[in-house]
Amino acid sequence: MGRLAIALLLAALLPWQPAAAMDPPSEGAPREAKPTLAVGAALDDAGRVWLARVENQRLWVSSSSDGGLHFSRPVAVSSAPEDIAANAENRPKIAVAQDGTVLLSWSQSLPKRFTGNIRFARSADGGKRFSAPVTLNDDGRVGSHSFDSLAIDGAGRVAVMWLDGRDRDAVREKGAPFAGSSVYFTQSADNGARFSANRRLTEHTCECCRTALTWTAQGPVALWRNLYGSNTRDFALANLDSGKQRRATDDEWQIDACPHHGGGLAVDGRGALHLVWFTQGRTRQGLFYKRIVGDSESLPMAIGNAAAQAGHATVAAAGETVLIAWREFDGRGYVAQAMHSTDGGASWSPPQRLAESSGAADYPLPLTDGERALVVWNSATEGLRVLPLDLGKPK
Amino acid sequence: MIRRLLIGMAVGLAFASWASAGEPASFTTDSLAKIKAQYAGRPFILSLWSVNECSYCIAELTLFGQYAKTHKHLPLVLVATDSREFAPAIQKTLGQFGLGSMDSWVFDDAIPERLRHAIDPSWYGELPRTYLYDAQHRREAVVGVLGEKRLQAWLRQHRLADR
Repeated sequence: MGRLAIALLLAALLPWQPAAAMDPPSEGAPREAKPTLAVGAALDDAGRVWLARVENQRLWVSSSSDGGLHFSRPVAVSSAPEDIAANAENRPKIAVAQDGTVLLSWSQSLPKRFTGNIRFARSADGGKRFSAPVTLNDDGRVGSHSFDSLAIDGAGRVAVMWLDGRDRDAVREKGAPFAGSSVYFTQSADNGARFSANRRLTEHTCECCRTALTWTAQGPVALWRNLYGSNTRDFALANLDSGKQRRATDDEWQIDACPHHGGGLAVDGRGALHLVWFTQGRTRQGLFYKRIVGDSESLPMAIGNAAAQAGHATVAAAGETVLIAWREFDGRGYVAQAMHSTDGGASWSPPQRLAESSGAADYPLPLTDGERALVVWNSATEGLRVLPLDLGKPK
Repeated sequence: MIRRLLIGMAVGLAFASWASAGEPASFTTDSLAKIKAQYAGRPFILSLWSVNECSYCIAELTLFGQYAKTHKHLPLVLVATDSREFAPAIQKTLGQFGLGSMDSWVFDDAIPERLRHAIDPSWYGELPRTYLYDAQHRREAVVGVLGEKRLQAWLRQHRLADR
């Protein structure tokens, strides 16, 4: 408490000091102990479950060869502590390439309010040792960089995208107004050994919702909550390679506030895109799913129990399997819910109540390789659970 | 350098004790009932914000801070939807906007949905969010930033504009 108070006082008293002077936090002094329940998870080609979680200001990686019953001893990605955002819609991301390279991205919070960095590290030896983390945002400023997404093609290409405040800061420094944030991204062609210079995808996006990224046959495709007009916060889709953008939802959610509620995106084996998102728009309200194939798309399908605050859905897809997981609050505690399709999103199972939590809990994360379906769910009281789903397929 | 820091800290401590009126109270499922009892027969503003996750809330605090200067008895209740760990940051931020002596609360439940439900079951957590209560405690929800016009109109309506 003493150190914290002094740090806060110094922050308040030394406004003329550039914020960069306070980074990194002095000698690992803990600042506010933020909860870090939000984990990252992935399924590799060999069927191993990979997990990235944050504890004591470090990112830890472990894997399981038995579907999540037992995990390997966690390996710290970096020896230096840093504030890693792992709460609510912020979580570390993990992906595993075909050659076994383990890739990680995360958002680091800096002491100055609403500032941070997009960080990246990788392991070339199957998760035994990790490269020193690098900062991917290359503007060299203490500014807003957050809500990263990571996608790989498995064969060496990597894309990381995030919400970036550099355009807003530059415009506002000239005294002009700027609505929202921007989306920036960088790519690698060698499994993250080197990254290209940052590129701007778009300006005027919502500032406080997670982004989503998936790798299609046409390259990386992004989903984010955009700003249409002055404050209509509906979703947009874009291919990072072509830069081609389209409006993805027509909910007409006009709100000058932070929804803290983004969308999810996945591509199946036939190239169909699967979207899940939340809105309180004029057109519709609640949690929704739809499928996009080329220029045609399905009608939005409501997911979950709106009276139980169904929200924060994530979608995973492989082959013809599509799996959606989300969280509800049943009046007493949290419930992890899931539903699945084995025909590429044409028909769906009823919602399945997978597990409950009596305390603080992460949002559930679906994983599928087309044959198996798992939901990873972390909670303060019950710990990390890997919940298998029966897809009803012949074995 | 060290001397400058020590002097700075001494000044800072004096400043901190002057600027903030202690810690925010814990907001639990029965807190709204207590707040309403405290304002029985009187109008008040319940403002929900977050120190950690809401850039729009800063615009709203700026507005409240301006009005708090000229309205000695602004009936404002500020509830931060962060958690107890953020109590120092909350009070510091309110102090910066001249709201350090306002009635301040912070969410205190591992399941914030319980508290959201106690306030308004239809609220998914978007911030800022304001409820304008009249003297009979009928309320109007304002989703997003409460603009100055709306605040002025409410103050006039409840004859608080000049106090």
